[in-house]
Amino acid sequence: MRKLLSGLLATTTAVAFAGSALAADKVLIANLADLTGPTASVSKPFTKGKEDAAAYINANGGIAGMQVDLDTVDYAYAAPRAIAQYKKWKSEGVAVIQGWGTADTEALVGFVSRDKIPYYSASYSAHLQDPKAKSEHTKKAAPYNFFAGPSYSDGARAVIQWAAADAKEKGIAKPKFVYMGDNHPYPNAAKKAAKGYAEDLGFEVGTDIVYSMKAGDFKAQCLSLKESGAQYAYLANTGGSGISLLKSCDAVGADVQFLTNVWGMDENVMKAAGKSADGVVFPMGAAAFGADVPGMELVKKINAAGSNQEHHAVHYMRGVCSFYYMKEAMEWAAVNGGITGENIKKGMYQKKDWVPAGLEGVCPAGTWTEDDHRGHMDVYVYQANVKEDAAANATVPELLKAGTIGMTKLFDAKLERKPEWLGL
Amino acid sequence: MAGYNMMRCGEFRTTYEKDTTIFPTPMSKKFAILGVLLCVIAPLQIGEFSFVSDTLLTLMIQIGYLSIGALGLNILVGFTGQISLGHAAFFGFGAFASAWMNNDFSIPVFFSIPLAGVLTMAVGMIFGMPAARIKGLYLAIATLASQFILEDFFARADWFTGGAAGALANPFEIFGFAISGDRSYYYVVLVYMIAMYILAANLMRSRDGRAFIAVRDHYLSAEVMGINLTWYRVLSFGISSFYAGIAGALFAHYLQYVSVESFNLLLSIQFIGMIIIGGLGSVMGSLMGTVFMVLLPEIMQEAASIITSTSWGNIPAITEGINFMKEMVIGAAIVLFLIFEPDGLAHRWRMIKAYWKLYPFSY
Repeated sequence: MRKLLSGLLATTTAVAFAGSALAADKVLIANLADLTGPTASVSKPFTKGKEDAAAYINANGGIAGMQVDLDTVDYAYAAPRAIAQYKKWKSEGVAVIQGWGTADTEALVGFVSRDKIPYYSASYSAHLQDPKAKSEHTKKAAPYNFFAGPSYSDGARAVIQWAAADAKEKGIAKPKFVYMGDNHPYPNAAKKAAKGYAEDLGFEVGTDIVYSMKAGDFKAQCLSLKESGAQYAYLANTGGSGISLLKSCDAVGADVQFLTNVWGMDENVMKAAGKSADGVVFPMGAAAFGADVPGMELVKKINAAGSNQEHHAVHYMRGVCSFYYMKEAMEWAAVNGGITGENIKKGMYQKKDWVPAGLEGVCPAGTWTEDDHRGHMDVYVYQANVKEDAAANATVPELLKAGTIGMTKLFDAKLERKPEWLGL
Repeated sequence: MAGYNMMRCGEFRTTYEKDTTIFPTPMSKKFAILGVLLCVIAPLQIGEFSFVSDTLLTLMIQIGYLSIGALGLNILVGFTGQISLGHAAFFGFGAFASAWMNNDFSIPVFFSIPLAGVLTMAVGMIFGMPAARIKGLYLAIATLASQFILEDFFARADWFTGGAAGALANPFEIFGFAISGDRSYYYVVLVYMIAMYILAANLMRSRDGRAFIAVRDHYLSAEVMGINLTWYRVLSFGISSFYAGIAGALFAHYLQYVSVESFNLLLSIQFIGMIIIGGLGSVMGSLMGTVFMVLLPEIMQEAASIITSTSWGNIPAITEGINFMKEMVIGAAIVLFLIFEPDGLAHRWRMIKAYWKLYPFSY
């Protein structure tokens, strides 16, 4: 009996100590970013969003009383470096990872599900939305992968919906659609879905055109686009290479309506591409900075706590949303058995159509379930408006204020949660 | 080029045994054994205590497989006097080949690694064929072509590499026992590394090894002496690719993911950097050069984080520029090495040894 009692005492003290150590401890959150690679132009604002969110959360009591130890690492968009970094983080006992690219996220799917580490990617590849590998398109179940926003495939479907309506309005009998992007997992992610949907909506689908994710002279690609006779072209790279493509196509006089994905258009692209970016149609995953929505209050505070800039590109808000969805799931986990990967995952399933508290109107409402990680099915479709080429020394806030650049909402695409679209 | 095969004056070998010994003195043999022993106990963990941290261990594994690749290139460049700007592609071919054989044909990783070496050797010999006819800068460009051809092949051959998305590789397995975790995988790499280094050291004492050196030193004289130039040049490409293939396969099963992005021209250049810094025509130099090239960025990273943690260093201009500065310093280190130590670390090491041999009466 005495033995049992002393044993019990030892255990409770150990638990108490462990508890107090944990409470005083920090929680390590990994943050993978591309600050020097081909997608740096869009990764920088996204990363700033997460860093600022962490700074604000730390200044306001942390996550469930724990300070966030955000470890941001630049991997220059090289998937092998991300895997090596993942191994390092794992050995340091990381709680959750905020990731970046499609190639690395898809390569890590097996690792994170084995190690039970929730992975919030900035890759919106639909392959990551199938937690049980039910779909024939999914190679590997991705139970620990989450992202906030519509998938690349759904984003592409939404802009193609608009294109179909536009073609009808313009009286084009058999419109032609071309998919453009690099041969890389990220631009390839939505290829099948976009081309399939375009065919369903009556488009003639032309041969794909490959252009590098590293900005260069794309006149050759633009000439083949021009020769193809397509009226609609979808750009699947990020804004950086998009700028040179739009400019090159303008130079060769390719009169094509460009559509792009969520990483293809932002304020910086509009400034750099000037008139060539006018009219490009793109999906948005969150409200723009300074939009008149209730959640903008919190975004402004987050900005003030961190980088404190006058303006942030649209990707900044998605970074904040990604971080806050994770934060709320971690808070749920903290009171329901502790911050473990499994509990954080469960935390994501607790609510329906939810928006992180304080970010109403900034992040769209999302629902994740154990069988379906398609968080958001609504896509906001926007169009870029550029009145004239900007002066080289003009800043984005000035241009926005002057109305030189801007964006208008075209419509809200409400996509069906079709089972056959899961993972496609 | 001060290769170790060059005899210093006053050094006489009176027996064949002495002429073909791997270790010139008993002391150097003891040092080598001590080094291996230290490597063996390094990853051991006793309770909470471990000799090396996880991070250091990953660097040691990296040094392990890269040094095998570097040694392969040194056989080609340092010993045979050829040049290859496509070494990374062969390294990559080995990585994909091992993953492919294991994934598609269920060949255990234990066997798929050496098989990948053999397969890469065959590919290397095909791409080495131009060496029979051309040399110098022209050969450099021909091998550069092999880099681009293979890279493009990796990005397109879905059946072999998984295309642009890459391929997953299983962890190392030996008769049903999976070796998981870096601390155990380290031994796999260590065993391969020791075996490959002994193999190379022995190769250089053999008929073929001497033929390589003869081809390098004066190909015309070599031909007059009856050495088949074409065969030995192509063979050198083959052996070099075999090493690269083994190294690549070890890399694949270590990272457990293979992507075309890992094997670009930059890695080829880095391999060349390793052997130049380490010492052309030196087996140990290949290892020294790899250690230098792997540790330099890590040391720069540490220096960068120390700078950004100070109050004067924590300004945007420095925190955002530090990544670029890091790369520049690495480049500068290589240039400085080429100017001040053109014979590489192996030469410096020999100088240090000579200094202590004659201490305190060095001249």
